[in-house]
Amino acid sequence: MSFAERMLHIDRRLIFLLIGVCTLLPLLYPVGLAIKVSPEVHGVYDYIEALPEGSIFLLSMDYDPASKPELYPQAVALLRHAFRKNLRVIGMTLWLPGTGLAEQVMTKVAGEMGKVSGKDYVFLGWSPGSGSLIINMGQDLYKAFPTDYYSQPTRELAVLKGIQTLRDVNYVVSLAAGTSGIETWYLYGKDKYKFELGGGCTGVIAPGLYPLLRSGQINGLIGGMRGAAEYEVLIGQKERAVAGMDAQSATHFAIILLVILCNVFYLLIRTSPKQGEAR
Amino acid sequence: MIFLRRQLPLLITFVTGVLFAAQYYVPHPRSEFMLTEVTKWLQIIGGFALVLGVTSLFHIHAVKIRRKEPGWGYSLVLYAGILGTIAAGFSYSFAAGQWVNGKETINGIMTAFGWVYLNMMVPLQGSMFALLAFFIASAAYRSFRARSREAALLLIAAVIVMMGRVPLGEMLLPVSGDVTQWILNVLNAAVRRAILIGISLGAIALSLKIIFGIERAYLGGGKE
Amino acid sequence: MSFEMLLGAWVATGLTLFIFTFLYQDNPLFKLAEHLYVGVSVGYTIVKTYDTVLIRLIYEPMVTQGDWSLLIPLGIGTLMLARYIPKGAWLSRIAFAFIVGVGSGLAIPRIVSSFILKQVEDTVRPLVSIVQGAPTFTYNLMDPTSNLNTIVLLIGVVSVLFYFFFSIEHTGPVRVAARTGILFLMVAFGAAFGYTVMARMSLLIGRLSDLKEYAVPQYGRASLWLGLATVVTLFLWSRRREEPPPDQQ
Repeated sequence: MSFAERMLHIDRRLIFLLIGVCTLLPLLYPVGLAIKVSPEVHGVYDYIEALPEGSIFLLSMDYDPASKPELYPQAVALLRHAFRKNLRVIGMTLWLPGTGLAEQVMTKVAGEMGKVSGKDYVFLGWSPGSGSLIINMGQDLYKAFPTDYYSQPTRELAVLKGIQTLRDVNYVVSLAAGTSGIETWYLYGKDKYKFELGGGCTGVIAPGLYPLLRSGQINGLIGGMRGAAEYEVLIGQKERAVAGMDAQSATHFAIILLVILCNVFYLLIRTSPKQGEAR
Repeated sequence: MIFLRRQLPLLITFVTGVLFAAQYYVPHPRSEFMLTEVTKWLQIIGGFALVLGVTSLFHIHAVKIRRKEPGWGYSLVLYAGILGTIAAGFSYSFAAGQWVNGKETINGIMTAFGWVYLNMMVPLQGSMFALLAFFIASAAYRSFRARSREAALLLIAAVIVMMGRVPLGEMLLPVSGDVTQWILNVLNAAVRRAILIGISLGAIALSLKIIFGIERAYLGGGKE
Repeated sequence: MSFEMLLGAWVATGLTLFIFTFLYQDNPLFKLAEHLYVGVSVGYTIVKTYDTVLIRLIYEPMVTQGDWSLLIPLGIGTLMLARYIPKGAWLSRIAFAFIVGVGSGLAIPRIVSSFILKQVEDTVRPLVSIVQGAPTFTYNLMDPTSNLNTIVLLIGVVSVLFYFFFSIEHTGPVRVAARTGILFLMVAFGAAFGYTVMARMSLLIGRLSDLKEYAVPQYGRASLWLGLATVVTLFLWSRRREEPPPDQQ
């Protein structure tokens, strides 16, 4: 076997080790390179920044623990921004496994910012149905959620005063990890009930949402951990997402190096004179 | 009886399908009321559908344990996980002074159920998916070869985007950030739009076939 | 630090490391964690479904608010469970027919409006702009709404649609359109790969960030001690697998 062939058949555990080291070292010894903010993320930030105090902001945390590293920092940054602007925040999720995480992020950030459940924000929790749930909320919010997550009757909550349906919500942001996310909110929600819609999503589904961004169906898109880092820069509170960007840089360059090496070895094999028949 | 088993379901699909497609164009209060009520019903029925998925999993592992197939011990671990979590979900929280009833926290105090969720489910699911990072690196090294011009184009686009979306890439090659934005907002958007339109047309065709009874695979269950 | 938090940190770290042992080789630690993951997820689903569907959506509205119309969806949902009774399985068809019929009916007009009409509307934008009353051709590549980009977008959408249209033969002008479509597709898939790499790496960064957090003295250096224990266990296990059985020594 030639050197190039041996290199292409290298034990994959060495590659795993390389990725592990490229991820761990920047986490232990961060550099802190500058992060440029994209227009997509600005779209969401500028809209929230322009909302008057007391506006209704609905954050739908449509993800499960698998997507926590990408979407949890987005949720934290958005909630901090919304609470700083004194918006009335409604939290919920379309994904059953994400209910605990959604509750944790709301109570954590609300506690930090001195906000009170029922008065400044409400956590509605999860309800089955995705599309039918959104339609139900669009028809009558109190029929969809007669009680909040803590069994308080929603009609009696001060934070929901004056809201009857989704038409009364000023801005909805869906943080999505897959199906039952941004497209669902548009299809069964914004199409009929005409609220403004923004999105946050994992890196895997982000490219697929650009048609909606370009057509104005969503007014902004926060893509992956990079998007979360950009939002943290905008609100001036750099945390986990920004801290992860150095490791992101290192791993991306590791992958680029691996791809280049793979192609160099492949080219060497293709252009070398043919080997003898017997080994 | 044949009518009940075969024709009635198809009739129900047809009537409900046409009714709710037409409802979109009828803003009359009675039409809106019907939409509100039936979407509420769908939520409840959707909850029952979750039960179906769970029971089939029970069945598979129960068979494994009964037949003592290789690895049946792990099926016991699975059952222990299910029962332990359910027990935590319906336990009594002494710290909070009330029954847990499926809540992760009560008045800010973490329950046993919340503990299981945050310290078992979240790390387990997170780690399972974190493994993919290693496998994508290994796959990229072994098989991401520019065998043709099209593959080379794919490779170049991938490298530009990988550079353009990290601070180090933007610092070393500032133009990579701008090119990435152009690729995403124009080229990628065009392709995804075409795919979205195609998939949507396909979904509508399938929905119409279902409503008109041409496509019946969704019925399943039971003899004709 | 409370005992539950400390125990939680050690359990979370241990389970994370058990899953990562798969990178070395499939082993009992990984299998244990894998089955536990499925078990806990299913248990969580059962508890949440019971609390949300049975109690909050059915029992409370029916019993405390007297909304007896919910007996209808309760009946339909129960029909679905008839699937498990061999002689009565046909009853479940009625439930599925209802769900699928309503779902299809709700989806059709919404998909037409949202994902076809709106998307086509944005594709057929003007090819020139009016600036101060005069038609101008804007060609800033960095502005997605510029006229040049509108043309590129239009060519892209049409050529990719042509590529996926397999009912006509790809010859002549159709072949040119389809080949152009392939080029656009390759760039888009490259971008998708780049983003997928970004996403997967983020997931790993998240888990390792947590492990780094649990390596501090307040958590009893859980990551370090459990990491060491896991490596030793794996080493001993793989040695045991390599040794021949006693009767063959």
